[in-house]
Amino acid sequence: MPVLTRARLRDTALPWLLPAAILLGWQAAVSAGLVSNRFMPAPLDVVRAGWEAGRTGELWTNLGVSTLRALAGFVVGGGIGFGLGLANGLSRLSETLTDTSVQMVRNVPHLSLIPLVILWFGIGEEAKLFLVALGVFFPIYANTLHGIRAVDPGLVEMGRVYGMSRTELFTRVVLPGALPSIFVGLRYALGIMWLTLIVAETISASSGLGYMAMQAREFMLVDVVVLAILIYAALGKLADALTRKLERVCLAWNPAYRSA
Amino acid sequence: MLLDAVRREALPDAATAPRQAGDPEPARSAAESARGIAVTARDLHKSFDGHPVIAGLNLFLPAGGFTAVVGRSGCGKSTLLRLILGLETPTGGRIELQGPGGNPRRSEPPRRIMFQEPRLLPWARVVDNVAVGLSGQGTRAGRRERALAALAEVGLTEKAGQWPATLSGGQRQRVALARALVSRPGLLALDEPLGALDALTRIDMQDLIERIWRVQGFTALLVTHDVAEAVALADRILVVESGRIALDLRVEVPRPRRRGDPDLARLEGRILDHLLGAPQAA
Repeated sequence: MPVLTRARLRDTALPWLLPAAILLGWQAAVSAGLVSNRFMPAPLDVVRAGWEAGRTGELWTNLGVSTLRALAGFVVGGGIGFGLGLANGLSRLSETLTDTSVQMVRNVPHLSLIPLVILWFGIGEEAKLFLVALGVFFPIYANTLHGIRAVDPGLVEMGRVYGMSRTELFTRVVLPGALPSIFVGLRYALGIMWLTLIVAETISASSGLGYMAMQAREFMLVDVVVLAILIYAALGKLADALTRKLERVCLAWNPAYRSA
Repeated sequence: MLLDAVRREALPDAATAPRQAGDPEPARSAAESARGIAVTARDLHKSFDGHPVIAGLNLFLPAGGFTAVVGRSGCGKSTLLRLILGLETPTGGRIELQGPGGNPRRSEPPRRIMFQEPRLLPWARVVDNVAVGLSGQGTRAGRRERALAALAEVGLTEKAGQWPATLSGGQRQRVALARALVSRPGLLALDEPLGALDALTRIDMQDLIERIWRVQGFTALLVTHDVAEAVALADRILVVESGRIALDLRVEVPRPRRRGDPDLARLEGRILDHLLGAPQAA
């Protein structure tokens, strides 16, 4: 038993060893004056800046605004991508009709549309929602479509022979079969969601985390800039952890996803 | 041991009753043997892209019989089975099915197939996989109850709550057998279902299929390339060649058959001679 717990402790602690060492070295380097804190604030200064921004409520307002934008864009873009992916996976006609167009639009980097989007929507909420939705759309679409394609035709035939209705065939065979691939799309999409939002907010916004970082740059508040970057990292990690959790629940049947 | 349990529970009298020598049909009560579907194929044709696979085949499968179809790969035996099940539409000719009581309705009782692979839904528990065989019938609780009973018949009660991925190959095929049988089919088609199993597991499965067939009285149609398996299980063997029936043999060896029985061996030799000696296109 003690061997097991020690091994578990090691497995939990070991991944954090390197980040902790870097933090300590960083703090030491700044404190000793090796690095000017005008370029790089010490970790403790970042913590202090975070505390200050949290106390005034500025951090929470901006965090809330950004999260809401991200989720709204994700729901709209992901919803459309999922719907179209299903439609094109299930219907030849729908695929022939739309897939070529989708593939053409896909090859345009969606961030290159920022100037156009600012012309269309100004720096309002619509601009961010549009960009995030567009960015999230493709990975969800492509992976949903691929997932449905990859469903074992033997299982579909079995479902037919055993008298499943079309609805049953979809909910019991096709959708569960496509789910692992859909989750891959989901995780890609979450990464693109934050990336797009940050870029959009940094370039044109009057609130949000990206805006907070740009404001801080104007006033040379390096600690706030670093704070914003670290919050991005934490949000990305959080989204990924939630997806993993969801995968583990939804794909418990798959040995590749089962927790040890 | 599990299989022994099945034998005791599932076979009240039919199997244990002594049978008269020379009786080709196994003893079975009238109610049970009335469940099978009789199949008639008349001048059946099927071609794929202009290549004839079944060419003018005539066939009658009596209700409740156990027929094996053997032949070289590509001879059309799997296509014949898929045609009879309605998975393919014939290019010419017709297939008539006759249910118990002369009822020509196609839906009742159902036709079922066991594929070469188990084809279980990996995301459904074992018991839910068996319940797939009852799609669209009764309540959820009722389906579950019948599925559990079918699992007991194949000796897998204790695996009901597991994922298919945790089962062995033989266990998966037993789950597939339970799924095929849970709806009490009138016709069970077996498309080389034991080909991927190891030799001992295959013998266990053959015994299990034979026992359940004798209790339930469905019409069984086994497609196999294993002549020994055909001879051990069937009471009639059809050799298919170039889309036609080349040889139609009765197996008059009483059940339960002992493996290595000289009569069976002689029959197996005869069929193999025919298969190997016959001129083949490919």
